Amino acid sequence: MGAILEAKDLHLAFKGVKALTGVSFQVQPGEFFAVIGPNGAGKTTLLNVLSGVYEPERGEVFFLGQSLRGKSPQERARMGLGRTFQGLEIFRGMSVLENVKLGAELALPTYPLALPRAEREWRLRAWAEEVLDYLHLSPFRHAPAGMLPYGLQKRVEVARALAGRPKLLLLDEPMAGLSLEEKQDLARFLLDAREEWGVTLLWVEHDLRAVLELSDRVLVLSYGEVLYYGPPEGVRQDPKVAEAYLGQA
Amino acid sequence: MFALSKRLTDAFSLRFARAVRETYREDEAYASTPLGRLALYAFLLLLLLLPLLLGPYPMYVATLVAIGALSALGLHLLVGGAGQISLGHAAFMGVGAYAASHLTGPLAPLGILLGAGSPPFWGFSSASPPSASRGCTWPSPPWPSSSWRTMSSRPGRRSRGNPGPDPSSPEVLGLVLDTPEKLWYLVLLFALPLFFYGKRLLMTRAGRAFRAVRDNDLSARVAGVDLTRTKLLAFALSAFYAGVAGGLLAGLYKAVTPEYFPLSVSIQYLAMVIVGGAGTVLGAVLGAFFVLLIPEVLNSFVGALGPEYAAQLAAWRNVVFGGLILLFLVLEPLGLVGLWGRVRDYFRTWPLPY
Repeated sequence: MGAILEAKDLHLAFKGVKALTGVSFQVQPGEFFAVIGPNGAGKTTLLNVLSGVYEPERGEVFFLGQSLRGKSPQERARMGLGRTFQGLEIFRGMSVLENVKLGAELALPTYPLALPRAEREWRLRAWAEEVLDYLHLSPFRHAPAGMLPYGLQKRVEVARALAGRPKLLLLDEPMAGLSLEEKQDLARFLLDAREEWGVTLLWVEHDLRAVLELSDRVLVLSYGEVLYYGPPEGVRQDPKVAEAYLGQA
Repeated sequence: MFALSKRLTDAFSLRFARAVRETYREDEAYASTPLGRLALYAFLLLLLLLPLLLGPYPMYVATLVAIGALSALGLHLLVGGAGQISLGHAAFMGVGAYAASHLTGPLAPLGILLGAGSPPFWGFSSASPPSASRGCTWPSPPWPSSSWRTMSSRPGRRSRGNPGPDPSSPEVLGLVLDTPEKLWYLVLLFALPLFFYGKRLLMTRAGRAFRAVRDNDLSARVAGVDLTRTKLLAFALSAFYAGVAGGLLAGLYKAVTPEYFPLSVSIQYLAMVIVGGAGTVLGAVLGAFFVLLIPEVLNSFVGALGPEYAAQLAAWRNVVFGGLILLFLVLEPLGLVGLWGRVRDYFRTWPLPY
């Protein structure tokens, strides 16, 4: 089987500022793929291009062998491309359960009209509860998502994305602002999700230690260019990466 | 005295104790506790028997409130549900009333339904073209435009010799609904199913999509929600509810003129939504009660003061609406529903503060 996601020579500039210049990489099925880089390196821009919020000026993205050109974010979501955001982008006014149910709609096919609406709703509920239980969110199911502490809100967002049973999940700094313990929990959840549900993970993260410990392969970006692309062991040895992070060779 | 207060508080506390639900099905059902079911049935019975209990004028007001609640629910779906704003609600009611007034007599219920179908179409035809990122926007209030004037039915102005449709008393199964009591049942016939539908809608797929669009449109798109479709659905539903309410109002007023549906009525419905607590079915009912009963209370107040104050009543009413909206937005954004929830939570955990 080929790559689940393939980016070919992506270019994007905002008013002359080059956010991405010739970024190419492949993500293999079942992989834990990390994208790192200093601030302003274009990591979030890259995720936005992959999930369809931005359209690249040049280059193309292939997902499951299909080109994503011209596909809207919701079409990509239905194809199995999940996404979480850097800031908290959960539905604050809805309960945790409703957040997860909304995500779970993606897991149930839309078309079989033969399935009565009520039955659909029960299946959604059952699946949403499974995800909630899995992420240890069950006690908060009826709490308004916006009222929860920060760490839990982050987890609600991951739950929302995971409930849609994505084939590939794009995570934008899922660990930012979490305590060490919460980070460890989240790492466990993500690894388990990969194991049990076969989710391929692509994450952007600043916590280098976590990235190097967990990821199978790493892509290092700086000013929109690929500095390094390979196994995590090589990241620390690479002189270009050291220069980008420390400012000198 | 203390013993009495303690007993009362204990009783409340017991009443509001969080029911233990053992299955997901129980958790999703409304009125899942025996007491809750009892309250629901008692309320429905009260609605059915209301004409026996009230005189003609209170009955007229009750019908007005029921129609208002139905229309407010439509705006709730849009404003509280999908987070869109609309000042055209009264216009949609007017369109519904006008369309419904063409089919009266034995076919009146059908006329109201068909009439209610027209506002959404009218809305669609004047909605701005959808854009990919933001979905679409609904037409702004149509009052200054000439289209509203020409569309509205103004007896005697439409054409010579045709004084416009006359919404005579509707008639169902040979029963002429000429009295407020009988019209009440026609209102219930439409309002009850539409209320249960609204309640269910907010709890399921479409309702979740509405609120997702309200809370965070970027995240909604990435979660697979089609912004344009969802917003258009919310607008169309809200216009449909307004249309049904308008058709029923035509039966109540026995005439359809633009003067019944001015901009201030739209504001009044927005006040209902905000005062009641945006986005809930209970809020629609409470808001309609509150806002529509204020003029009645003011009336009796002013009546007691003397006739010379009666002339200023209309102006005072607007002042009261404005003040209410401000007060609720500042002090209790969740509206009457939020107040009720706070009272309930207080007793639920009593005597502990949390």
